[in-house]
Amino acid sequence: MGPDRGSDKDSFRTVADFALPSEPGNEREAMALVAKAVRDLGLTPARLEKLRTAVAEATMNAMEHGNRYRPEVPVTVRVLTSAEDLCVRITDRGGGPVPTPGTEAPDLKAKLEGPQSVRGWGLFLIRNMVDEMNVTADDVHHTVELVLHLQGDGDGSETA
Amino acid sequence: MAAKQLEASVRQRPGGSVIDLHGEINGFAQEALNAAYSAAERKEPEVILLNFEGVDYINSTGIALIVGLLAKARASKRRMLACGLSDHYVEIFDITRLSDFMNVFPDEESALTRAGKT
Repeated sequence: MGPDRGSDKDSFRTVADFALPSEPGNEREAMALVAKAVRDLGLTPARLEKLRTAVAEATMNAMEHGNRYRPEVPVTVRVLTSAEDLCVRITDRGGGPVPTPGTEAPDLKAKLEGPQSVRGWGLFLIRNMVDEMNVTADDVHHTVELVLHLQGDGDGSETA
Repeated sequence: MAAKQLEASVRQRPGGSVIDLHGEINGFAQEALNAAYSAAERKEPEVILLNFEGVDYINSTGIALIVGLLAKARASKRRMLACGLSDHYVEIFDITRLSDFMNVFPDEESALTRAGKT
């Protein structure tokens, strides 16, 4: 992960901080709460949709892979903003070594013809929806940080 | 927040079978999707059109379910088309390359018209 965005109180501000039980479907709640928290940032509808998708996928992964869908183990979501960036940090209790995320796109032809599982789209979608995705972990926690750059041309559609 | 359970129904049109989808395409949608696909297949259509006009949320599990349906259609030599996707999901179909294997149209009429010509 880059700079410790959360501790830099001069530049980053927490605009939402909440926890959700690890239950199927709760990614919709995460998506809605994050969208509400960033409503004043002036994101275009297209960028907001992308952020919503990335938040939903990261929250699903946290509930499923990190917390094994144990409702009593929450996923925490923290939304931070600065003049330059919007960060959403999604944390589960699946600590341990940081996995090396694959960077290749899923092979749809192989999925259609049988050798590969039809699943495995989540991380690929997240990476394509945000400007940065950073992953950190300690012995207990695993955090995915989603970053949208608020200045510059993070999304071509913004200036169209 | 309660998930909107997927409802899927099948209609026959001169150009093929149309599966109308309403709600969310996520892990809860598997049964409804598969049942609708099976009902559509019983008419032995050359074309099956998935109409997403009533769909407001598709997650990665939903993408996997759609890939599964597309695989079934290809295995039985049927063409699967899509219409009614929002701009966001058209982009996701492009990113995932689903649109390379399943032509995407803005609406049902354009999809079935094009299907009849090819």
